[in-house]
Amino acid sequence: MRRKNPFIYYGGKALAFVISVFLLSAAVFYVSRLAPGDPLVSYYGERAEKMTVAERAQAEARLGLDQPISVQYIRWLENALRGDFGISYKYKTDVVKVISSRLPNTLLLGGIGFALIFTGALVLGALCAWYEGRLADRLICRAGTVISCIPEFWLSLVFILVFAVQLRWLPSSGAYTTGGGGFGDRAIHLILPLAVTAAGHLWYYAYMIRNKLLEEVRSDYVLLAKAKGLNRRTVLSRHCIRNIMPSYLSLMAVSVPHVLGGTYIVETVFSYPGIGTLSYESARYQDYNLLMLLCILSGTVVIFCNILAQIASERLDPRMGSGDMEVPEHG
Amino acid sequence: MDERFILVGARSPQPSPPKKPGWYTGKPVISMTILAALLLGCLCCGLFMPKDPAYMDLFHASQAPSREFWFGTDTMGRDIFSMIWFGGRVSLSIGALSTAVSTGIAILFGTVSGMAPKWLDGLLMRGTEIFLSIPSLLLVVFLQAALGKAGVLSLSLVIGLTSWTSIAKVVRSEVRRLRGSEYVLASRCMGGGFFHILRQHLAPNFFSSIMFMVVMNVRSAIAAESTLSFMGIGLPLETISWGSMLSLSEQALLSGAWWIILIPGGFLVAAMLCMASIGNWLRDGGSQGSSNL
Repeated sequence: MRRKNPFIYYGGKALAFVISVFLLSAAVFYVSRLAPGDPLVSYYGERAEKMTVAERAQAEARLGLDQPISVQYIRWLENALRGDFGISYKYKTDVVKVISSRLPNTLLLGGIGFALIFTGALVLGALCAWYEGRLADRLICRAGTVISCIPEFWLSLVFILVFAVQLRWLPSSGAYTTGGGGFGDRAIHLILPLAVTAAGHLWYYAYMIRNKLLEEVRSDYVLLAKAKGLNRRTVLSRHCIRNIMPSYLSLMAVSVPHVLGGTYIVETVFSYPGIGTLSYESARYQDYNLLMLLCILSGTVVIFCNILAQIASERLDPRMGSGDMEVPEHG
Repeated sequence: MDERFILVGARSPQPSPPKKPGWYTGKPVISMTILAALLLGCLCCGLFMPKDPAYMDLFHASQAPSREFWFGTDTMGRDIFSMIWFGGRVSLSIGALSTAVSTGIAILFGTVSGMAPKWLDGLLMRGTEIFLSIPSLLLVVFLQAALGKAGVLSLSLVIGLTSWTSIAKVVRSEVRRLRGSEYVLASRCMGGGFFHILRQHLAPNFFSSIMFMVVMNVRSAIAAESTLSFMGIGLPLETISWGSMLSLSEQALLSGAWWIILIPGGFLVAAMLCMASIGNWLRDGGSQGSSNL
């Protein structure tokens, strides 16, 4: 059981991934067809409202809208596999094109934010474990609890109010000034959104690290290591942190949806031209083709990360087994 | 003290008698008081509101806090002090309603999954994972677009429908732990039905372990409501809540009217902070024993 054929192992994971994405797309498709709004509008735009009854029936027959929803889904899937996800009602162009023009911005914000959270949480958590019960630990815990209670959009508003409106240090919106776009310009526009993203999530993960480390420093091998003559810092960094790394890595992979959802809000408040602002707009203007692809896209990323997390924890920590082992519960 | 380390013949150290704990020991008294005051104020807001919260006094739009308008007025000339208490009702009841929805779903789903045979359990859990894979904000946006115009009820339903998974997971693992117990077996042998076992035997046992998550759920539901209303896809401007009050803040930013942003947000954060500390108190203290490091 332990040493499976790697081909079968990764093949199984890939299969699970494909099935999950397929189910996700089916669910999203069905919900969007149940949603109010005229699907014809999303194909023909304004013209749909001026059609006669006969023209409507003809158009519906051509698009297959008169057929049962499962047939419609298969037709949609065929088109989607060819890379045709339909046309955005608002932007009047191919949905894929609209998204791919915004994607790099979100990847930049999300990527840097994720790296900040990842390292920051590790440092903060380790600090807390190092100074357990002392002033620094208590201060960090207090501050973290307070900050984690502040909704991200409000934190963004306060930051804009202080740093952009009152002090005029930083720009309040966008990803670059029109006409500009140099490195420094982009960096200045990233500071506030990044600060909010990091502040909103940092504490949650730091607290996880802290609790894991506190459990870890209570185990016997720490005593042994100290008896061997290692100093505290070496024990903490070489042994304890190393031991929690597998679970931390898989936690970080699973946490992608939270961070992603967070950047969506932050993007909207700062009118940062990324995927988040786009999905917000598409929801407001009932641009279902766009919204559907956005849902599927972010869902796919998340499913991928989940599977990656499973693989990481199973490979890095052989004790995790193949999921058959029940995690022991404390009563 | 471990008995291996007790010296024979040595006087055992007398532990100093612990101070008699008061009724308040370890309880988040301040948070409870503030939360109770907020609740009471919102419930009885009709008694002390100086103005009609929905009345738009356009002559006094965007006024800074003064003696007449204690917390100032918003860009539409409504009195923020009255709106805070009136809107608190909506915000808090959305928190409670959507938590009721999500807890109900979570208990049912978790129990079914926990009692089910292995293949069904695996299927249900995989389904939960797919459900979790969509960022919940996007899901809310999508559902809300599907349900049409948002009201208090539909918004609570949507938020509840999207936030049950974490509780369901805890319920499932608790049920899996409990289902082999003798009393559950005995109850099944005597012909106890699913809901009978759930109500009589399982729920009382897992209730304490989900209590913390339920309180946190109220908190995140209130946050979700305010976020959605702020973005203009939640409650409309006419339905006063802490979130919809903040939806005016884009204009307030331009005119530098800090009170429109800071005051409702302050109340929001205060309520959430109180709930967080109550929630933390419900979850028992962390790791015991002293550090080896």
